Amino acid sequence: MHALIIDDSRAMRSILRRIVTQLGWETSEAANGREALDLLEHGLVPDLCLIDWNMPVMNGYDFVVEVRSDGQWRDVTLMMVTTESEHNRIVRALAAGAHEYVVKPFTPDAILDKLVLLGLTATGVPA
Amino acid sequence: MSSLLFESSRDDLEMLVGEVWSSHVDDRDGLEPAAPHPWSAEPGAATTPCWSGAVSVTGLWQALIAVDLAEPSAQALARGMLGLDEGEEPNRTDLGDAVGELANIVGGNVKSLMPGHHDLSLPVVANTLLEGATELLPQIVLDLAWRGEPVRVRVLALPPSSSHHDQFPEVSE
Repeated sequence: MHALIIDDSRAMRSILRRIVTQLGWETSEAANGREALDLLEHGLVPDLCLIDWNMPVMNGYDFVVEVRSDGQWRDVTLMMVTTESEHNRIVRALAAGAHEYVVKPFTPDAILDKLVLLGLTATGVPA
Repeated sequence: MSSLLFESSRDDLEMLVGEVWSSHVDDRDGLEPAAPHPWSAEPGAATTPCWSGAVSVTGLWQALIAVDLAEPSAQALARGMLGLDEGEEPNRTDLGDAVGELANIVGGNVKSLMPGHHDLSLPVVANTLLEGATELLPQIVLDLAWRGEPVRVRVLALPPSSSHHDQFPEVSE
């Protein structure tokens, strides 16, 4: 499995990377939506994108819209991981094609629970 | 945002900052309430080496949410968030990044306490104390300590009357 972590904070990318690598996943990283789209356009096919909302150059919402406008990436699971917790933002992101929405701060278990819910992992971190 | 909302939100803010800390910074040593730290010294006196991260909230209300950390706290913060070992020194870019993300998470959640739609800026970070615009007044200041070093969270905002005036400008007849 492969996760693309999209966040302008290297610290936050590091936190998310440590969570998913515990599952044995590979990861790629991008500092904004444009960088992430470049990776996809160059052939990266992640199983999951973890997406911040507020980023320079291209925000996470616009990234979701771009990805969902191209059928070749329809199987990529999109999960927002953001401080944006307003109800209308959550609704907007889900309507645009995000599958899940996690509000920062989060625990590793909150991310793992979502991955189980999405069927991307069976039981969380192996013992 | 009324003063009443801020008063009722102080406990929420304390809980939120504690949650951010335990989730992303340090799940063993939590934040403790502390006496106010003299962040700004008199002119000519030595100042506490510190880092400040801040985000602005704009919309119905105007606010700035800032997190101030003494230099050792900022280093430990970056080390924790980046998963570095105790002996590893984060560089200045990493320090700024970690402090900015902390401000982003705290600020984003403070925004959620404000009624109505608001936008959150990208974080601004400095290796010195960040001051808000003069019209923004302190609404909540949390003086805290982590591992014996000062940490402060500030919520600055326009006084309710000014915000209300901006929102509903008087119409001359």
